[in-house]
Amino acid sequence: MTDVAIRTEKLTRRFGNLVAVDAMDLQVTAGQFFGFLGPNGAGKSTTIKMLTGLLAPSSGRVEVLGIDFATHPVEVKRQIGVVPEGMGLFDRLTGTDYLRFVGRMYGLDQQTTDRRADELLEFMQLADRPKTMIVDYSHGMQKKLALAAAVIHGPRVLFLDEPFEGVDALAAGALKSLLGRMTERGVTIFLTSHVMEIVERLCSHVAIINKGRLVAQGSLEELRAGVPGDEGAKVTLEQIFLSIVGQHGGQPGMEPPVDELSWLT
Amino acid sequence: MADLAGPISLAEQIRLVAGLRWRMLVNGLRKKNNVLDLIGMGFVSLLALILIIGPCFAFYFAGYSLVSAGRLPWLAAPFWAIFIFWQVIPIFAAGFGSSFEFRTLLRFPFSASAFYLIGLAYGLANFPALACICWLLLMTAGATVAKPSVLPIMLVVAILIILLNVTVERLIGSWLEKLLARRRSREIFLGIFILLMFSMQFITPIQRQYVKTNPNPAPFFGIVKYLAPFPPSLSARVVSGAVRHDFVDIAIGLSGLVGFVFIFSALLWQRYAAQYRGEELSESPAPSRAVPSRAARWRSIPQIISTGRTAPGFLPAMVGPMVRKEFSYLVRNGFAFFLLVLPPAQMLLFSSQFGGKHPIIAGRGLNADLFFPAMMAYTILVMMGPAYNTFAYEGRGIQTYFSAPLRFSDIFAGKNLVSAATIGFEVALCGVVLAWAIGPPSVPALFATIFALIFTVSGQLPIANWASLTFPRKLEFGTMRGQRNSGVSVWIMFGAQIVLGGISALVLSTARWSGNPWLPAEGFAFLAAAALSGYFASLQPLSELAEKKKEVLIEALCR
Repeated sequence: MTDVAIRTEKLTRRFGNLVAVDAMDLQVTAGQFFGFLGPNGAGKSTTIKMLTGLLAPSSGRVEVLGIDFATHPVEVKRQIGVVPEGMGLFDRLTGTDYLRFVGRMYGLDQQTTDRRADELLEFMQLADRPKTMIVDYSHGMQKKLALAAAVIHGPRVLFLDEPFEGVDALAAGALKSLLGRMTERGVTIFLTSHVMEIVERLCSHVAIINKGRLVAQGSLEELRAGVPGDEGAKVTLEQIFLSIVGQHGGQPGMEPPVDELSWLT
Repeated sequence: MADLAGPISLAEQIRLVAGLRWRMLVNGLRKKNNVLDLIGMGFVSLLALILIIGPCFAFYFAGYSLVSAGRLPWLAAPFWAIFIFWQVIPIFAAGFGSSFEFRTLLRFPFSASAFYLIGLAYGLANFPALACICWLLLMTAGATVAKPSVLPIMLVVAILIILLNVTVERLIGSWLEKLLARRRSREIFLGIFILLMFSMQFITPIQRQYVKTNPNPAPFFGIVKYLAPFPPSLSARVVSGAVRHDFVDIAIGLSGLVGFVFIFSALLWQRYAAQYRGEELSESPAPSRAVPSRAARWRSIPQIISTGRTAPGFLPAMVGPMVRKEFSYLVRNGFAFFLLVLPPAQMLLFSSQFGGKHPIIAGRGLNADLFFPAMMAYTILVMMGPAYNTFAYEGRGIQTYFSAPLRFSDIFAGKNLVSAATIGFEVALCGVVLAWAIGPPSVPALFATIFALIFTVSGQLPIANWASLTFPRKLEFGTMRGQRNSGVSVWIMFGAQIVLGGISALVLSTARWSGNPWLPAEGFAFLAAAALSGYFASLQPLSELAEKKKEVLIEALCR
């Protein structure tokens, strides 16, 4: 069994002249809770799509659990769970229908699928609306259902694109605890989020992408070490992020000009 | 502290809203990056122009001739035409979307009265309103040329009619907006609307039957007198009074019109005031839990299937769940479900027009052996349409197919199986309706038709699957606007159906040519077997194509 859960080599994706992801070399060790950060339009979603088979790379290579995605896509997909951007739900199914459909699609037998679907709906507090179609779910409920679907088959690697967006604090707490327990059991979680506090609290390792290029990668401690801070005060992930990506146009340490938006202040 | 801007005038607000509508129109055109769409839009614009300019002559002529010839009772007809056009077309144009854009203006600092007036101005700036105003002005010009003294009264009537029409149109729009804000009511309304439109097709046969049995149509026109108290007839009464110098008629007509304007304005004010106060139109946040009742038994079919008790176990592992999912989608797509009524109803309509003992259009009813296969071919033509955009309703769910460990051939097999089963069911139903309406076909013709159906359906499915992958277009449940397959996909469908229909027609004609009534059945049996083999052979290459086309699919369906 390999120690590396996700590995990319020179992973590149172009859209016409735009290089959305540029020769990315990324490595995530098995069992890590891995945060993937970047400003808007940096290439996070493009990367996660390539890592989950939703988008073909222009060049480069993706390996998940030591299996080459390009040559063995079905084998890789069997091992991973995904909450894609937009959640990927079928609006006209009920929550139960959807989980049962996904469970069967991942090859679980009917009995196991039914049992797990019921347990997950109960855990996600969605069990009290068995007849409600997904189209009538709130955003938070849809998010919880998408998460339930991503884990129903017991994946070894979980890709979550903004998983906590729109989820209430109570459910988010339960989810974080569940995800924490999953990593303790050796599941690798690859998470993107704009909320630095969540990433800082959950993730042991972080990578930062800016303008399609991987600009930092390592444990939180390693990244903190590279950023100067006030003596005695702990450097936050937000400070690390701002320091590396910069507040303006990706230039580290650049402050906004004092006369900007003066009419507002 | 930031500087706050001062209030702007109502005229400036209206100007800004007009500018906004113009920008929306221009930006909408900018989105047309496809040459075919541009050509289509050119045609539509040309048609729209013809639709406005053509009736302009008719309304001018109506105004002129009715006044000059003294045929004053007929003056109500053009007013009614304008009224109906103005009120009905915006309902079509609204397209049963979840909301009109106008409400979004509420976030700006308008007073309630400004909101009301801007609402009216917004209503004047749409195509039917502009067309009707043109026609009304041309009718005024026609009447004035015929009798110049009617100009002042015609202008007053025109202003009142414009005010009334725009108020009523806004009122209907506002109620529709409230009604259609809920998904379920939107879907049911759309289904009923389509059926209503279709049922209008039966008016001609019923009317012909009526005329046949009642040669004197006088009682039919008797209903006209009941229309007298309504605004278009009142307008005609005012103009007629002006021509005849009958001031009582003018006074009654004008009072009626002003009264209607007042009543509808009050009703519209009430609706807009509710909107202005922040009326909540969206879906209820938490649909109530379903209680076990008779209604629950109606929903039990998909539930039984989804619990697996009646799961089609003979299907491959991945195809079974797809079939269940597709079936659930069919049952829960109220709109599509409603439309399953249409093919048998069309059979009834066509058989009353072309077949049987008393056809309306064809002089002599068509032979059942000819009519039966023709109608079955028509059913296939109608029913195969959705198969050419089979992922239309998947939305973001399409991502699940690509992130799950499965072959796309299983997805196609599941989808095609449900399509074929639905088509089979509808064809059987249509067959029964036709047999009842015009009599059953001969046994050789029946077998030939059955094999021909298998041939045309299985022959089209690989093409339809390919088109679904290559030219996908997202469709939404319960929405009318923009709910059509991609233009290229439609052309592919027509092409495939012409080719397969042509082959079928040739094979059918062999019976007449050879004198052997069983020859077409044998020919179609062979073709059906070949088409089925071709279908199964196509699944693997299509599965590979799906992998190549996944970006196109995801981009088109996840928007």
